[in-house]
Amino acid sequence: MNIILRLAWRNIWRQPRRTWLTAGAMVFSNVLLVFMMSFQFGMYSLMIDNSLQALTGHMQVQAPGYVDDQRMRQTVADVGDLSRSLREQLASDTIAARAQAFVLASSDERSYGIAIIGVEPHFEQKVSNISGLVSKGRFLSENDAAEIVVGAVLARNLRVNIGDELTILGSGVDGSFAAAVVTVIGIFDSGVPDLDRTLAEIPLGLFNDVFYMEGAGHHVVVNAPTVDFAPALQAELEALLPEDADLVVHDWDRLLPGLKQAIQADLSSSFFMYGVLAILVAFSVLNTQLMSVLERTHEFGIVMALGLKPGRLGRLVMLETVMIGLLGAVIGALLGSILTWYFSFSGFQIPGMEEMAIQFNLPARLYPQVTALSLLLGPGIVFVFSLLAAVYPALRLRWLQPVDAMRAA
Amino acid sequence: MNTLRVLLMLAWRNLWRNHRRTFIMLAAISVGVWAMIFMTALTQGMVNEMVKDGVSALPGHVQVHHPNYRDDPNINNLIPMADTELSAKFAAAGFEQWASRIKVPAVITSERESRGVTLLGIDPNRERDLTFVDYEDIDGRFLEDEADKGVVIGRKLAETLDTDVGKRIVIMSQDPKNDIADRGFRVVGLFGANMQSLEETYVFAGKQTIQKLLSVGDHVTELVAMGDDYRNVEPVYEKVVKLVDDSVVVNRWFELDSYLGTMLRVMDGFVLIWVVVIFLALSFGLVNTLVMAVFERVREIGLMLALGMKPSSILGQIIIESMLLLVIGLAIGNVLAVASIAPLNSGIDISIVAEGMEMMGSASVLYPQLRMEDVILANVVVLILGFFASLSPAWRASRFQPIEAITRVD
Amino acid sequence: MAAVRCIDICKTYLQGDQEIKALDHLSIEIEAGGFVCLSSPSGGGKTTLLNAIGGLDKPDSGEVWIEDQRIDTMSKGELADLRLRKIGFVFQAYNLIPVLTARENVEFVMQVQGLSPAMRRERSTELLNEVGLAGLENRRPAQMSGGQQQRVAVARAIASRPTLVLADEPTANLDSKTSDGLMDLFEELNTHHKTTFVIATHDQRVMAHVPRLVRMLDGRIVDDIEQNAA
Ligand SMILES: Nc1ncnc2c1ncn2[C@@H]1O[C@H](COP(=O)(O)OP(=O)(O)O)[C@@H](O)[C@H]1O
Ligand SMILES: [Mg+2]
Repeated sequence: MNIILRLAWRNIWRQPRRTWLTAGAMVFSNVLLVFMMSFQFGMYSLMIDNSLQALTGHMQVQAPGYVDDQRMRQTVADVGDLSRSLREQLASDTIAARAQAFVLASSDERSYGIAIIGVEPHFEQKVSNISGLVSKGRFLSENDAAEIVVGAVLARNLRVNIGDELTILGSGVDGSFAAAVVTVIGIFDSGVPDLDRTLAEIPLGLFNDVFYMEGAGHHVVVNAPTVDFAPALQAELEALLPEDADLVVHDWDRLLPGLKQAIQADLSSSFFMYGVLAILVAFSVLNTQLMSVLERTHEFGIVMALGLKPGRLGRLVMLETVMIGLLGAVIGALLGSILTWYFSFSGFQIPGMEEMAIQFNLPARLYPQVTALSLLLGPGIVFVFSLLAAVYPALRLRWLQPVDAMRAA
Repeated sequence: MNTLRVLLMLAWRNLWRNHRRTFIMLAAISVGVWAMIFMTALTQGMVNEMVKDGVSALPGHVQVHHPNYRDDPNINNLIPMADTELSAKFAAAGFEQWASRIKVPAVITSERESRGVTLLGIDPNRERDLTFVDYEDIDGRFLEDEADKGVVIGRKLAETLDTDVGKRIVIMSQDPKNDIADRGFRVVGLFGANMQSLEETYVFAGKQTIQKLLSVGDHVTELVAMGDDYRNVEPVYEKVVKLVDDSVVVNRWFELDSYLGTMLRVMDGFVLIWVVVIFLALSFGLVNTLVMAVFERVREIGLMLALGMKPSSILGQIIIESMLLLVIGLAIGNVLAVASIAPLNSGIDISIVAEGMEMMGSASVLYPQLRMEDVILANVVVLILGFFASLSPAWRASRFQPIEAITRVD
Repeated sequence: MAAVRCIDICKTYLQGDQEIKALDHLSIEIEAGGFVCLSSPSGGGKTTLLNAIGGLDKPDSGEVWIEDQRIDTMSKGELADLRLRKIGFVFQAYNLIPVLTARENVEFVMQVQGLSPAMRRERSTELLNEVGLAGLENRRPAQMSGGQQQRVAVARAIASRPTLVLADEPTANLDSKTSDGLMDLFEELNTHHKTTFVIATHDQRVMAHVPRLVRMLDGRIVDDIEQNAA
């Protein structure tokens, strides 16, 4: 091994306790960071997937302005034809048309205001998980049947069961009175309170007749294989839309702006905390390296007298810091991934978090997974902060005069 | 007493012998303590706003309902006792705030649009300080009394419905026989709220008007009472329980909105965890500093022992040195925290993530909340854990053998 | 050409508010291959003069020449290079890097000079052999006696084959027998390699050894005598 490397390595073990305490601070922070980031990143992608798969999808084709107010008359003309042609052109069947209205739904005993969505039964199953969450009865099948699928809480509130009839009252797209009687054929239980309480789905053909849509709808949901492919698909999709149709494509971030922002807000407060930890580690490193430089003043004086330039000594100090830093990073990342690995089997749950989990479409128990990012990011940050902290002790050597240094004991 | 003075003096002088190291450690402790308190104040501020907003959206710290109402918020689940009778009891009980109201789901329809909403039939004079609506910040006017024939809706709802002050809308709900009760109303005012969902969801009308529309006579769906602090609702709760019989249930706000209740508990736990984590990160540096200080002084500690100083005094001296370091660091950290929070008291604008904060149930202005309990918690935790962290190096120093220590060459 | 030439150099230090003339208009010339001993009571200016010659410190006025280079006007970097290539140092004590073995201490300088590992190994073996430390290559300074440590320092000082070796009280911490041994080593190296040696000392036994003895007092040369080798 190179003498300089050997020298640096032996130097850090001149005070083993000090080196271990410094590396210990790094290990502590790194274990925490690896675990927390694995936990958070996993949670974010679950939040995104769970929030998007019920209704929003990866992107939607809409009339301009619909995204903000969801007005009944901001329609997409011939929505069924559009979704069919998009399915053909993109050779994908995860594309489905929808229409949406707000109505009063009445059973024999109860009336509630709800959102009702007209869906293409066959293709809706490919873009939304609601069909799979039907816990009683079945999902819609025919495009014109007078059938409805309702959320579990809504069914309970309306006191209806499979086979019961519901009257829906609202206004058509032209503002005229719209009414229909439909039979409950399915009840879904998504676990998302907002959906279970206020959502019902009917076939798009029926919706078209009841609300006088004349073939129009409100949006076409388009899903990519995974969320990561969405931007590419969106570009492709935008190119396919007819120029004169006056349609826009919105991605999920635009459709559910709260989601990304909630993640950003959470990320920024976490990164404030991680930053503080990294800074505290940096102080530890600064303390250790400054002390270690000061202790060695005499020795540095000797080697400078031999003709070593201060820059080289500075590099030696940085090299020592790199070694301590790597020690902290490697042990920390290792222990952090073991901890995460353990929880990836047993699951992790903050006591009393169930309610918070529901708010963000999350299961109560999370199974954090170590990824390259969650493994490297935290220890990487701590490592960089440690190196920055050693810059001052290393630079101090530039002002060291060999004569003064040797006079130091 | 005298030895303590001597020890204190020795510890103080020793602390400044290696001033660089002391300064670095002080900086680390100060930054750590600052972060403890600053982050806690931000978190508490956020939770506080969330709970305040949440409670004002309910609104009411303690609420009385029909036993089935929470599960089935329907006009059929009325409070069995007559409203005038129960209200009289509440009025006599001397609550800070109280109100009785009808709260039912409804559909609101303009010429072009329909939306599902929550209809509140209220006595506007009782609700002034209860709701999230600022009576002074209304386009048009707020309701004047419980017999007011108009409705007040949120600005965002007015925009989606394409309606405005002076225009008519139709409200549909059901009466207890499940006949559709609908009626045209004139929009008399538009309110603003710090969260869009509030502006979309709530529609205010006069209580008597709604009682008439829904044919429920002298009955309401809920009675609420408010104390002065959402963290301390037990007194109000106990008072309310005494006023009602068991044909109704009484709930505190955190039972009605379990998300908020959980949030509050989780955040209190978070504060402690955060303080301890920061301390642990600091403790490595603290122990390191003490170990270095002890080992530099091996010879003189040996000398002191040889001169007859008791090992316990050495132990005490090192611990005092560590505590002095912590106390100064804490003082600086506390001052920094207070100084950095003070200019933020008018609120931190985080509207770039407004919709995300709304998802968490929080508005887009954050008011940091510096709570004495949290500051004390941080300081006490640091001092106690700091004491334990210094034990090992101090113990080591007190165990030196005088001769060995003096003759030791590095 | 002289190995070292100092022309009228002065160096003043402030101690409190008192000015100390550590070097007072001092001029000296040392011929190549010379073996010179600077002697004075403590505080006479020996270290200051050696530092000026070695480019560790600059005189306030006057000129310092090493062979044909004037060094008192050089930059720090140039001086460092000069020391690395041309000048070897031996100090009073604590000369060595404590975490490196005898061999590594010697090789360290060679690595800085950029010598290949094989070359370093060969040279360090040869050098340690020459200073009489064969077999102790892998000891750390703490495992060696003071005299052995000084021999390692000598080996290191001549590792770069310098033309000039400066030694500041190299025998101060040694017993008389060991110090005689070290002086013999210096003489041997002086005759063998034609390396110029300048040794500062206030040790009578050392002074007796040398062909040229320069006595100093208060920063001035008071006596400069050629003696016959002992
Ligand atoms: N850095 C310094 N600061 C102040 N005075 C110094 C310094 N270096 C040397 N001196 C003074 O200069 C004089 C000469 O010192 P020095 O060259 O070390 O003498 P010697 O090596 O012969 O003992 C002494 O009086 C010494 O105290
Ligand atoms: Mg000297």
